[in-house]
Amino acid sequence: MKTPGLSRRQRALANCAPINEERIRDRSMRAAVFRARSSSEFENQQSFDRALATLVRAIPIPPETAEWFSGKDLISPSKWTWKKAARNPVVLAIGIALAVIAGVFVFHFVGSLNDFPGSGTARKLLNIAGSTRSVILDPVNADAGTLSDLFFLKHGLEHYDVPAEFADFRTIGCRVFEDDESQRIAQIWVVEKRMQFFLFPAERNVKTGAVLKFQGWRYVHQEGWVGAVTERNGACFMVALRGREKDLTPYLAKAKQ
Amino acid sequence: MLGDSVKAQEVFHTTLREAALRAAHGELPNEPFWLFRDAHWRCLEATKTDLQAEPLEMEEQEITIAAGSQIERLESKQLAIWISAAPEPQRTALALFYLDEFDYREIADLAELKLSELSRLLALGRRQFQAWLDATLPTRPTI
Repeated sequence: MKTPGLSRRQRALANCAPINEERIRDRSMRAAVFRARSSSEFENQQSFDRALATLVRAIPIPPETAEWFSGKDLISPSKWTWKKAARNPVVLAIGIALAVIAGVFVFHFVGSLNDFPGSGTARKLLNIAGSTRSVILDPVNADAGTLSDLFFLKHGLEHYDVPAEFADFRTIGCRVFEDDESQRIAQIWVVEKRMQFFLFPAERNVKTGAVLKFQGWRYVHQEGWVGAVTERNGACFMVALRGREKDLTPYLAKAKQ
Repeated sequence: MLGDSVKAQEVFHTTLREAALRAAHGELPNEPFWLFRDAHWRCLEATKTDLQAEPLEMEEQEITIAAGSQIERLESKQLAIWISAAPEPQRTALALFYLDEFDYREIADLAELKLSELSRLLALGRRQFQAWLDATLPTRPTI
């Protein structure tokens, strides 16, 4: 091609210009074709190439060869089975991830079923119960029920009463401290099965300030500890021990009686 | 490439059979045009023992506007024979180009040619084919 105005490379590209312009994939070829398009020589070349390509397409394909290009698949795809899918590492990884997510959801859902006003504080206090050593308590050898007066007179804590069913238990020690939300908590350690009692403010409605009441005893669990919580007069009482629900049940049954 | 449908079929079937075997053994290459490269190599092998045309200076003519109508009067077999008689690597370049399935870089890669070589071979092929057309199917005089 001797088209003037084309560089040597563009002339070379124009000589290789695709028969179908849709097949142009690179900028240099597009530029060369664009510049060559104005010449009659290039027009002749394109019509020559198109005519030859049409003739090539008309070459008959023998039926034996055409069979290879029939709609049928040359290699039938392997059948999809659950077993195969389960062995696929990607499916396996997704399955495990979904199972873990589902497990977390179920755990939270079951946990929320047992939730009650103050359950969050109760769980935190169970952690404290697990880490408390008797030396940090003020030694007190008395009946647990008598400490209500001490909490009221010394610390100004109203209604921090030990329920009557636990009032006769002998104490080892007690203390009053503030938790991370600046709530004042009373902690009592008793001789009986080395149980611990906690007294803390009941949860209140954020808008109205009304105490969120609940009936009876509610269980909470935390790291091998179990607690039973009840609410009376705006204060919650929790009895906690290391063990399971069945270890606490007899005391609570007595309480009901 | 071969100008002989029986040979072409043999090459086609051998290439696909080999490809199926390699696939069964999980030995398919990653290279994108390996099947065409394989078929090309088999075509060259198949014509190695054939009688070779004597190299002769072919006439050349610039492409004319009437080329399209001249080609329309041709039979596809004539074109196949003409291309198969071209010397290597011009034969490969023309066969791959007029299949209209590859772009120039792919053809250059398959035929192991530089762009300048591919360009020269295609341009030369067109001019030679035009000369052959003029000799075989002279343009009809217009009244």
